Amino acid sequence: MTAEMAAPLGAPTLHRPDTLDEVCALLGSLDQAMVYGGGTAVQILIKQGVLFASDLVDLSLVPDLDGIERTDTGLRVGAMVSLRRMETDPVVRRIVPLAAQVYGHVANPRVRNTASVGGNLAHGDYRLDPPTALMVLGARVELRSSAGVRHVPVRDFFVGFQETAVAPGELVTAVEIPAQTGSSSGFAKLSSQSVNDWPCASAAALVTSPVQGQRELRLGLGALAEVPKYVSVDVPSDAGVADAVRLGQEAAGPVIDPIPDIRGGADFKRRLGLVAVEDAIRAAWGSTGGTETGAAGRSTGKEGSDARRNSRRRWWRSR
Amino acid sequence: MTTDVQMTVNGARHRVAVADDDLLLDVLRRLGITSVREGCGVGACGACTVLAEDHSVSSCLARAVRYDGVPLTTADGLAEDDDVVEEFVAAGAMQCGYCIPGFVLMGHELLAQNPAPTREEIAAHLEGNICRCGTYQEICSAIEATARRRQAENERRSA
Ligand SMILES: Cc1cc2nc3c(=O)[nH]c(=O)nc-3n(C[C@H](O)[C@H](O)[C@H](O)COP(=O)(O)OP(=O)(O)OC[C@H]3O[C@@H](n4cnc5c(N)ncnc54)[C@H](O)[C@@H]3O)c2cc1C
Ligand code: FES
Ligand code: FES
Repeated sequence: MTAEMAAPLGAPTLHRPDTLDEVCALLGSLDQAMVYGGGTAVQILIKQGVLFASDLVDLSLVPDLDGIERTDTGLRVGAMVSLRRMETDPVVRRIVPLAAQVYGHVANPRVRNTASVGGNLAHGDYRLDPPTALMVLGARVELRSSAGVRHVPVRDFFVGFQETAVAPGELVTAVEIPAQTGSSSGFAKLSSQSVNDWPCASAAALVTSPVQGQRELRLGLGALAEVPKYVSVDVPSDAGVADAVRLGQEAAGPVIDPIPDIRGGADFKRRLGLVAVEDAIRAAWGSTGGTETGAAGRSTGKEGSDARRNSRRRWWRSR
Repeated sequence: MTTDVQMTVNGARHRVAVADDDLLLDVLRRLGITSVREGCGVGACGACTVLAEDHSVSSCLARAVRYDGVPLTTADGLAEDDDVVEEFVAAGAMQCGYCIPGFVLMGHELLAQNPAPTREEIAAHLEGNICRCGTYQEICSAIEATARRRQAENERRSA
């Protein structure tokens, strides 16, 4: 009897609904239900014995959650679209190249083939890479429950350590990403273990086209605080890259508050965070076609890796 | 709950009863398919790789019920004269061989998507596969050699 009562938490019951209404009804009525997207995070939690759920609601049989739609403003990406598809789909690469680039940096191709866009966000980990891009792009999350649909900007989605804006009874149904027009961008992911490990520090930078002599420099930071962080700062459009880096680092500095762990102490991560910020800004600023680095024909990737090498050198010297 | 599913592995159909939380890795091994191996158990090493409709999957993180009827390929189901395998042998790309089925399948996936990968692209695709014997250089060379071989065969055929 006791064993039976304890059973639900040991092995959660799997539900495999085939309509969205049914998903919402299950999430609304079950006591401790959890959505099962790609399962790459859930399965690890189960193996570690730290999954506290009575029921799992599998989304894989629900139609219409795995589409990528072109909208007036950009893309609407279904929650069950795989990370690998975000990386490789020609439409995503054309409309939101920064998102495609960053999704391609998550884990390894097998995890990316299985993990879903919705599950990645809802996982809520402070080290996730994709939110860095989604925040600077101004994306918003579509949430649904039996009560209806609401939208939350990705910038407001991460509310606390491992905690998101997803309310009980809700699921992520899509992410809307505005088209990346007229802006240039860069991404840097620095790992202290293997290259495909979770980042020790990551940063996405996006520079808008000039308005009245100013560009907006937006930064998304991963692994550098208890939630993914967003900051932005205006930079004169004729500024050189060194000024853009300085302004960006000044804006990012105050929100960097790293959690020490096996990937590095707080101090190490703070310094590495500023290196990631610099690398991302150099890659983004280099492709604005602005002053200094506007020389045509140099690719962002090349500039990014040059910048990374140089800033690493500087960083080691300053130790 | 237990569900009757059809596991389609290397073209052969198996009816099996799987529990909701059975991992694809365990179900395949119960079927005697031992080229699918457990290493890390958390998606990071690639020893448990299978191709599901030509997409690589870590079977250690995949529930079997989701693969009902999905065509699966495992390394032991490849043709006797599989080109990737032959190039692995020619390059001496193995010592103990534990990791090799995973690398071979990742190689197949990569070459299907990108027939002429650079060394960098090969390394990027294999970044989540670990070889404890450290035969990475030979593995990358074997995949490069397969790409060259396929290209030469295509040229011969179109000539
Ligand atoms: C080896 C390895 C390396 C990794 N490295 C990185 C890395 O470098 N960078 C990085 O960003 N990530 C990394 N990850 C994490 C990976 O990104 C996540 O595991 C994955 O994105 C989760 O997606 P999923 O669909 O598998 O989620 P699931 O495992 O299905 O779910 C994760 C969480 O989200 C909830 N959920 C799922 N779908 C929804 C939905 N539609 N609505 C509401 N809630 C939902 C679940 O209930 C659960 O709480 C790594 C993972 C592995 C296994
Ligand atoms: S055992 Fe599955 S990836 Fe290592
Ligand atoms: S050959 Fe031994 S682990 Fe790769």
